[in-house]
Amino acid sequence: MRDLLVVENLRQIFGGRNQTFAVDDVSFRIPAEPTIVSLVGESGSGKSTIARIILGLLQPTAGRVLYDGADIAMSGRKWNRKFRGEVQAVFQDPYSVYNPVYKAERVLKLVIRKFGLAKSKAEAQAMMEEALRAVDLRPEEVLDRHPHQLSGGQRQRLMLARVYLMRPRLIVADEPVSMIDAGMRASFLNILQDFRDSHGISTLFITHDLSTAMYLGGEIIVLYQGRIMEQGATQTVMNAPLHPYAQLLISSIPTPDPRRRWDEDLSAAPLAEIGYGASAGRERCLFADRCPQVMDQCWGARPRLQAPKIDAVDSAQRDVACYLYE
Amino acid sequence: MPALLEIRGLSAGLQGRRSVTQVVSNVDLDVRSGEILGVVGESGCGKSTLATAIMRLLVPPQVLQSGSMTLRLNKGSSYDLVKLSESELRELRWRHLSYIPQGSMNSLNPVLRVERQMTDTLIQHGLSDKEARSRAIAALELVNLEPKILYSYPHELSGGMRQRVIIAAAVSMRPALIVADELTTALDVVTQRQILQELIGIRDELGATIILITHDMGVVAQIADRVAVMYAGKIAELGTVNGIFETPLHPYSQGLIGSIPRESGQRVEGLLGEAPSPWNYPTGCRFHPRCPKVFAHCRAQTPALQVQASDRWAACHLYDAEVAADA
Repeated sequence: MRDLLVVENLRQIFGGRNQTFAVDDVSFRIPAEPTIVSLVGESGSGKSTIARIILGLLQPTAGRVLYDGADIAMSGRKWNRKFRGEVQAVFQDPYSVYNPVYKAERVLKLVIRKFGLAKSKAEAQAMMEEALRAVDLRPEEVLDRHPHQLSGGQRQRLMLARVYLMRPRLIVADEPVSMIDAGMRASFLNILQDFRDSHGISTLFITHDLSTAMYLGGEIIVLYQGRIMEQGATQTVMNAPLHPYAQLLISSIPTPDPRRRWDEDLSAAPLAEIGYGASAGRERCLFADRCPQVMDQCWGARPRLQAPKIDAVDSAQRDVACYLYE
Repeated sequence: MPALLEIRGLSAGLQGRRSVTQVVSNVDLDVRSGEILGVVGESGCGKSTLATAIMRLLVPPQVLQSGSMTLRLNKGSSYDLVKLSESELRELRWRHLSYIPQGSMNSLNPVLRVERQMTDTLIQHGLSDKEARSRAIAALELVNLEPKILYSYPHELSGGMRQRVIIAAAVSMRPALIVADELTTALDVVTQRQILQELIGIRDELGATIILITHDMGVVAQIADRVAVMYAGKIAELGTVNGIFETPLHPYSQGLIGSIPRESGQRVEGLLGEAPSPWNYPTGCRFHPRCPKVFAHCRAQTPALQVQASDRWAACHLYDAEVAADA
């Protein structure tokens, strides 16, 4: 079967003289089978830029994105309509996506009208109610309200109800839970899992919060300064990261268990300065200046992303861009 | 251990045209000398109002309604923060108690160098220019920043560095009490870890007491000594971090800890329902509409925060022997 989404050698360079490599030769794919792929990284790692390119909101400097085998840069009304229907976005801020003067039901009604989903008013009403139940919202609690009367969690789930109406094949969710309360987070993530399991909807989940990626499972891609450092099955990577950057990132998660506190004091370690390196000096491992296991060759050329050469059962399930495993 | 700050019956709210809507209700809390006390809860539970009330920085329409807050400094002097005048408070703030508000890393003045912004307060508190400068450098050292940062403008610094500058400024007078509101919320995990570890260093070095307001249970588990769980303007449970995480007593704490996403494959359910806003706090126990263990008594009677075990307080009728027997 054709892959649902293929990202090929994507590159996004901003600025003129002081070039910023937001995305630097990134390739990955989301298979046809329903999957959740998490794209994780610190701020400045390029994860949101990748999301914007995939959604067609930004033209990449180089590389291409294939959706269902076709380049998304391809134009045409018919294709556009298919793409806009099948790929849905959920953004970070559950406050700014609503027009405050309209009632919450409008976000659902608009979709039904624009995509001609219902034939009658009654059918539209029934569809809205079903969609709301799918995201654990009670229709009477939200439909008649204005956005400011809803909590962040309710608003974000309402966006999922809107997505559900469209029955897309792919959801691109950019930090969807970072502004909602911990208690609501789990239920939002559960809905994404239900969408995958019961409705065959895949999700590209973009986050800086590794614990949510861990919970979602599926696949994970760890980005650093616009490059993929490690990718593979989430459980494999999270339990035993190979790349020193992935190790640092994963060991820094504040585990919600006071008996498992950070053992090593990092406070005096060299500060993590986000240097969006200039074009010169990028032909190396970008993590070399912070890496505790740095070697001479790390400064010489860019390490390739490939299966690690180690004797481990899981080595086939992931790729690492690090000379330690070549 | 003596309490550095003893809060009794503290209530604060929002002044309306006719009445006051209470946001924080009747909080009793002892903050022990030298501890890191985590205050957790969902958004809108009154955490930040409590923090600003402690600092006496409530601004209209926020009002401090009642209560006392006794600050005992080690030289034997003690103050009731509620009764102090603005000029007396001005003397205390920064010198003895300092505050790091939410989002303060974005509050640095973009047109002034870090040096001015750090030394201004010190000079206001009577230090000479030279003393102020050396204090500022010493404070920067606590957060692993080099003295040359003094000559930088805020835009030249990363988010983590700006947050460190704010922390350095807050501790430059070596205060006894530091109230930090969502200190690391906007930062990346690696930076968050470094800053939290620096905070522990500051506590150890200065012997400071820290109240850390956060919604992140992971942060609390990593660095707090004790935890106060707030719900709808009240303290639902208070205890040691190990105790609260291992055997949470209050159904709200249980829900909060139970809803943390952990391993994949282990599905957790979120807390059902929404936290009430101060305009419609429920009667009786404010958690009763969301509580899985609710019984008749909870709807009518407000539970008091009571000792349940050594070093553990909870406000729940389930642990109220007489009431529970009736039910």
